[in-house]
Amino acid sequence: MSAPLPKRIIKETERLQSEPVPGISAQPHDDNARYFDVIVEGPGGSCYEGGVFQLELFLPDDYPMCPPRIRFLTRIYHPNIDRLGRICLDVLKNNWSPALQIRTILLSIQALLGAPNPEDPLNEAVAKQWKENQPEAIKTAREWTELYAKKK
Amino acid sequence: MDIDERPHKKRRFFAEDAVQTEPSLKSEPSLPDEIDALPESATPASGLDSTANKENVFDAETFTSIIGAEVPEDAIQSLQRAHGNNLEQAINAYFDGSWKAKVASPRKKQSPPVDKKQQRLDLKAGDGEESATSKSAGPAQKDRPNLQAMPEMRYIGALGVAGWTTRSGTGILKPGDVVKIQRERQKAPQSSSKAGRGRLPMRKTQDVIVRFTSQDGTELGRLEKESALWIGALIDQNVAQFEGHCIYAPDRIRTNETIYLQLRCFLLRPIFEAGNLMKPQDNNRQTGFFEAKETTEERDLRLRQIGLVKLFQEINLQPSTLNELTAKHKREGILQAAEVAEQLDQQDEKKRKSSQDQTNEGSSPPSEENEEGEELEQDQLDSLYKKAQSFDFNTPEAQPASTFVMDLRKYQKQALHWMLNKETREKDDHKQQSMHPLWEEYTWPNKDAEDHDLPNVEGQDCFYVNPYSGELSLEFPVQEQTCLGGILADEMGLGKTIEMLSLIHSHRSPEHEGVLNDTGMEADAVSSLARQPLSSGKVKQAPATTLVVAPMSLLAQWASEAEKASKSGTLKVLIYYGNEKGVNLQTICCGSNISSAPNVIITSYGVVLSEFNSVTGALGGNRASSGGLFGVEYWRIILDEAHMIKNRQSKTAKACYELAATHRWVLTGTPIVNRLEDLFSLVRFLRVEPWNNFSFWKTFITTPFEKGDFVRALDVVQTVLEPLVMRRTKDMKTPDGEALVPLPPKSINVEKIKLSEPEQDVYQHIFLRAKRTFNANVEAGTVMKSYTTIFAQILRLRQSCCHPILTRNKNIVAEEEDAAAAADIVAGLADDMDLGALIERFEADEGEQDASKYGAHVLKQIQDESEMECPICSEEPMEEQAVTGCWHSACKKCLLDYIEHQTSKGELPRCFNCREPISARDVFEVIKHDDDDEPDESDVLNAAIGDDDEDDLYSSTQTRTPKPKTRISLRRVNQLSSAKINTLLTQLKRLRKSEPALKSVVFSQFTSFLDLLAPALTGAGISWLRFDGSMSQKERAKVLNDFANRSKFTILLLSLRAGGVGLNLTCAKRVFMMDPWWSFAVEAQAIDRVHRMGQTEEVTVTRFIVEGSIEEKMLKVQERKKFLASSLGMMSDEEKKMQRLEDIKELLS
Repeated sequence: MSAPLPKRIIKETERLQSEPVPGISAQPHDDNARYFDVIVEGPGGSCYEGGVFQLELFLPDDYPMCPPRIRFLTRIYHPNIDRLGRICLDVLKNNWSPALQIRTILLSIQALLGAPNPEDPLNEAVAKQWKENQPEAIKTAREWTELYAKKK
Repeated sequence: MDIDERPHKKRRFFAEDAVQTEPSLKSEPSLPDEIDALPESATPASGLDSTANKENVFDAETFTSIIGAEVPEDAIQSLQRAHGNNLEQAINAYFDGSWKAKVASPRKKQSPPVDKKQQRLDLKAGDGEESATSKSAGPAQKDRPNLQAMPEMRYIGALGVAGWTTRSGTGILKPGDVVKIQRERQKAPQSSSKAGRGRLPMRKTQDVIVRFTSQDGTELGRLEKESALWIGALIDQNVAQFEGHCIYAPDRIRTNETIYLQLRCFLLRPIFEAGNLMKPQDNNRQTGFFEAKETTEERDLRLRQIGLVKLFQEINLQPSTLNELTAKHKREGILQAAEVAEQLDQQDEKKRKSSQDQTNEGSSPPSEENEEGEELEQDQLDSLYKKAQSFDFNTPEAQPASTFVMDLRKYQKQALHWMLNKETREKDDHKQQSMHPLWEEYTWPNKDAEDHDLPNVEGQDCFYVNPYSGELSLEFPVQEQTCLGGILADEMGLGKTIEMLSLIHSHRSPEHEGVLNDTGMEADAVSSLARQPLSSGKVKQAPATTLVVAPMSLLAQWASEAEKASKSGTLKVLIYYGNEKGVNLQTICCGSNISSAPNVIITSYGVVLSEFNSVTGALGGNRASSGGLFGVEYWRIILDEAHMIKNRQSKTAKACYELAATHRWVLTGTPIVNRLEDLFSLVRFLRVEPWNNFSFWKTFITTPFEKGDFVRALDVVQTVLEPLVMRRTKDMKTPDGEALVPLPPKSINVEKIKLSEPEQDVYQHIFLRAKRTFNANVEAGTVMKSYTTIFAQILRLRQSCCHPILTRNKNIVAEEEDAAAAADIVAGLADDMDLGALIERFEADEGEQDASKYGAHVLKQIQDESEMECPICSEEPMEEQAVTGCWHSACKKCLLDYIEHQTSKGELPRCFNCREPISARDVFEVIKHDDDDEPDESDVLNAAIGDDDEDDLYSSTQTRTPKPKTRISLRRVNQLSSAKINTLLTQLKRLRKSEPALKSVVFSQFTSFLDLLAPALTGAGISWLRFDGSMSQKERAKVLNDFANRSKFTILLLSLRAGGVGLNLTCAKRVFMMDPWWSFAVEAQAIDRVHRMGQTEEVTVTRFIVEGSIEEKMLKVQERKKFLASSLGMMSDEEKKMQRLEDIKELLS
């Protein structure tokens, strides 16, 4: 029915399997090769360490001209990620380039977990807490990770 | 009484009969005995009256009583049969003698009416006597006097005509008076003193007046214009003389009174004698080398034709024998045709004359000369071919001679059988002498108008008339040899050449066989026989030689096919062209040299024409003295692609008619290109009687067709074609459903092209202007008048789809438009600043790049990256690697797509890699030369062909690297390029990667577009060759040879027109059609150069069509034309115009 999958997507998918990035995995759906189930582990040393976060990733028709659409499914306490799991990340928006890939994007997201940036918030409340009382914020983040993102 | 009521048919005034009998009898002093002889009939006058009222009941009694003579039983019966109850008709028929034609044997008069005296002199025709003897010879004379030879003039019949007086007075003319019938022109000097003659000279132009004068030459009156027309022509051309007898005239004559005259007609002897000398009139059979005055001659001929047919009709003289074939067509046909032709002629006489002047210049290429006849619509052509190509798959086959080494397919063996049959037909049915199909035999009447016996001329009971040429003869016209050849019209690709070569091997002349069988003494015997007259002025037999005339581009192909098809040493081939022309054909082909003579001489139409010109010119018609083509009579002539001679007026056609041979063949896939006359020229070349007579052809084919009687005309064409033509098409299936020639499949794809923005701007500009022009013309109602202008704009629109630069090239415009229209466009372009500006912008996009900017390390890096995967699409290696200004590589398309994507979102384009701002202008294509080690052949060829005259715009765009070792160069993308060129290059490069030895053909109808394609290909490192109409034979052969023999990826650039015929390009597997033509048939023909017999692989055709442009609409028009063709709707001119209008409307919608 739909147009054949572009070579680029096929290659990316293959490589995600054959050369997996530690702490990250992305599995396409059987019925939609543009739709991925993504798991990102919280980076060591961060308040998300030990957490296993589920995300969904979708490659639009004009990928790689346009960035993939991606969002957290697992609840997370993070200034750049909102309640709905949407992520504020420049390479997913204006700084997208077709030279970027799923792999690099997921790495960026992992890095974002390790380095929250409350100066460019998406979730105002979390950002405020992060700026005013960082230890409290980190604590909450840990709790959430424990609560929502524990490996079952 | 009846004066004001003119007889409808002058010969038959039954109604007047009763009334006029009296005066005419009274006033016939010269024939008193006839009146005396009346007693036997009961009062004729009253009898007539009574029967006339008697409601048309036919009974023999009444009939005889009216006739006043005893009429033989069988005559009455036949009359009764013929006319039923219509007594009037029967009586008329009896009197004018026409009934005799209906009675069994018309040739010999059977039992004449018992008493001739009873007959009324005034009304009958068909019997008669030579005038000189008519009065002196007594009626009692039973034995007809005998003459030894044809008299000065011989009576042929009588007819009634009406005239009007130009004088008034009493007793000027009374019934029975003899008047002279004269043409003004002849009369003038004689009677210059007569009154009223003064205005004569002025009238000369009108030239239709026929007068009747008294014996002393005083003008009495003139004949009615209707009859004067043809009578005048007969008198003028010295065909006949007329003697007038007054039938009725009132005592007191006023001016403009109607007078009835009986004209007795005599054919003049010289006309029969001159018959032989007047051959040029029948210009079709004997073309002669002098044809400058064809128009006047044709006109005279027509007048004479009308005259003769009308005359025979009026005197009711029926042919006693005529050809079956001609009998099928009514005589009226001739009249109709001649008259229509006259009207037409008057209209375009001027046109014709001027075109003929050109024709006779001799230098103009034949195909461009004016042609006559209406064009056939595709649907008409289709239905015609459908009829002509009913091929019976069970026709017998023939095996080719053993010296022919190729395998023939079944249908080819059938063709061979058919051809052998055609060539040997003479033996079967040429024994008995039959009358020439164009001629008719007439019996001389043996009674005169007064039913006196006429003198008999010994051995001359009959005379012969050719109503188509207007010739008369006393000799029996023998049917000339029937055509021993035909038209092989198999569709292209079925192997006409091979079929013909099999014939050349399989049917040799007896002389040739003789030489072949007994090499030795016998050969000497034959040669001594053939050596007789050595006078060089004579055409000599070349019994072992077949002459092949083909378009220049096919000469080499013919030669190589001939070689391939023959066991080595069995067929000697000579290409008679250029330097080879030094030989004397008479010497090498004739006499003692038969055994060593070339068996096949291959030459071009151009050579035939130029030798024809020198024979007619310098050599004064002496065919043989040049030792050239015309000095020899071949065993066989084959015209290949014979539609080259479709225009019978062209010099080439005339030249070909004059070639002499026993067997004549034409090969063509399209015996009719677009006019029925196309076929005529072939038929004439083949000398097929009677159709090779243009007058005959015109009568039964052209005229009915032009008058809209399509069915009849096409039916006739079919009868012409049927015995002459063998035609099979590729899509024919054998009864078991197999294709004649199993060809590999062919697929046609349409590649939609998107124009770049600057291209789109140019297109839009031209489009809007064309639309404005069209709409303005629609409003003003002048669409048809300004058709050319509109068409020219549409042409430019189409060109702008290929490359905007094309629209600026005057030459291209001139390619399709006549000079006038082109001038308009140029003028229009000059003040068209908008377009100029747009194009400048387009060109500005193709600026130069400073070569020094490239550092060696950059290039190294680029080269290293070239095998890598494209960061955007992951293709590996990249397709058409391109780099940004910041030296980051990706596929060209990916890079440009991304830039466009960003631009369309209103963002500043940035490098995908380093996010440096970039622009489409700063994208460079990486050209690698590693797969092209030798110096580029196409460059060499390019120079050889002299094709390097393009403006600087297209050259020097390539920036070579300082280090030739890397063999990489960068070229700015979009340069000299257009969307179409880019797409083509992309596709070709992809192809080259997958099939490095593939050959492709690229067609465009614009040679100047080919001019642009060539450097683009060179730039992309793709080797190419070019073939177009401007090349010499040698160059063409070289190109075709190169193309066939190259082992690497090669493109052949072909102009749609030059590549339209004959070429065999089966070594290619891909076809690219750069632009659509109006009818797909033309494109299909081009495609068939590749997809034809010999093709072993699937052929893929890609048609480039610019999206949303006029090209897309042209496809729709093509589609509709296909549909129309199948619906067999014969459209009128008006409808066609409307259709065209619709087409334009659609194109500009």
